[in-house]
Amino acid sequence: MQEGDLRARFRQGDPDAVREVYRSHGRLVYAVAFKVLGNRGLAEEATQQTFVKAWRAAQTFDERRELGPWLAAIARRVAIDVYRREAIRTTDPLESVAPGDPALVSTPPSVEATYDVWEVREAVAQLPPEEQEIVRLQHLDGFTHAQIAERLGIAVGTVKSRSFRAHKRLAAMLGHLRE
Amino acid sequence: MSTSDNDRISYLSGEPVGSLTPRERAELDELRTLLETPAAWEEPDDGLEERVVSAIAEEARRKRDAPSAIAEEARRERDAPSSPPASPAPQPRRRLWDRLSFPRPALVLGGFATAAAAVIVAIVIATSSSSPAPLRFAMVVTGTPLAPAAHGSATLTKMSSGWEIQLSATGLPHMANGRYYQAWLKNSAGILVPVGTFNDAEHVILWSGAPVTQFRSFSVTEQLANGNPASSGRRVLVGTAHPVH
Repeated sequence: MQEGDLRARFRQGDPDAVREVYRSHGRLVYAVAFKVLGNRGLAEEATQQTFVKAWRAAQTFDERRELGPWLAAIARRVAIDVYRREAIRTTDPLESVAPGDPALVSTPPSVEATYDVWEVREAVAQLPPEEQEIVRLQHLDGFTHAQIAERLGIAVGTVKSRSFRAHKRLAAMLGHLRE
Repeated sequence: MSTSDNDRISYLSGEPVGSLTPRERAELDELRTLLETPAAWEEPDDGLEERVVSAIAEEARRKRDAPSAIAEEARRERDAPSSPPASPAPQPRRRLWDRLSFPRPALVLGGFATAAAAVIVAIVIATSSSSPAPLRFAMVVTGTPLAPAAHGSATLTKMSSGWEIQLSATGLPHMANGRYYQAWLKNSAGILVPVGTFNDAEHVILWSGAPVTQFRSFSVTEQLANGNPASSGRRVLVGTAHPVH
């Protein structure tokens, strides 16, 4: 479905279009929400609310615009509202609250930080699966190349070459493009 | 790709590299930190898609049953200003990737290579409007090693006939005698689109027929009126456009 047609059908509330918009932008919306909230359940709640709000406002959505930035802006607002609600609601003793609980965080991430995670998420999603896995194991899980090789049952050299290619792609996508 | 870029990639990918300066390491560590952000990797529950579709179906049912209530809520959502910042207004900060030098192989022209020291700061301006505002982007532009003193800003506004780019920059000498400046937009695939030529950058209005939403990398090159319209590769000013909401 071409994006222009998709936007028009989303505006009409077409269930297939809603599903398609979620499939194309849902993970990015979730990434923004998770960046603000740091909690899976709250981030999923905020993601759901984001799409509902987007649908409600879809009739006035300018079809010349891209859905992504519009959804990201709604997601951040929704997530901050959830964040504030949770920060006010929590009355547990401080020592019993998990370190990442929104109630402990003094301020939500900046607009720039939420756009950062959106761009990183988009770049990571464009990596081939085998390279994405290497980057995830390395950065998110903190494994060394040797540990990754053992975990995946491949040679260390293969890990290193995949890692190099992946980071070269990421740098190209996230770096300021040069001629 | 130059050796120094290979070293940067190697450092990013976890290899020990001794040739980088502390500043280069700090910049690359910033990118590493972003890659370590759980939000960049977390996946929502598989059932969230159905919950979203169901929630919207319920909204559609409510709309059929109570059109005025839903319409009012939609108007509030449309007209709502951006949430007031829970933190102080975003302070300018160096955008990591705008300081990295990672040339795409397809874009190396004429052997031009730069060890950019440009400092790019993104400014996001919160706006509210009771009517749909034209799509707007903004950016800070900074000089390259060819013009280290150059700096300025630009706004990019969607109009009916394309994107108007208002650039204000200082630190670039006036060009004449067959020499001029050319502005470009580029997308993530490296496709360059020319957006105008000028002699002085203090206040110039440029125009793009390509969407800024996709072509967000901005640059200005020094050019010679010799019949070759291609970019000289001699970049003097760079910036990245960010949406303004």
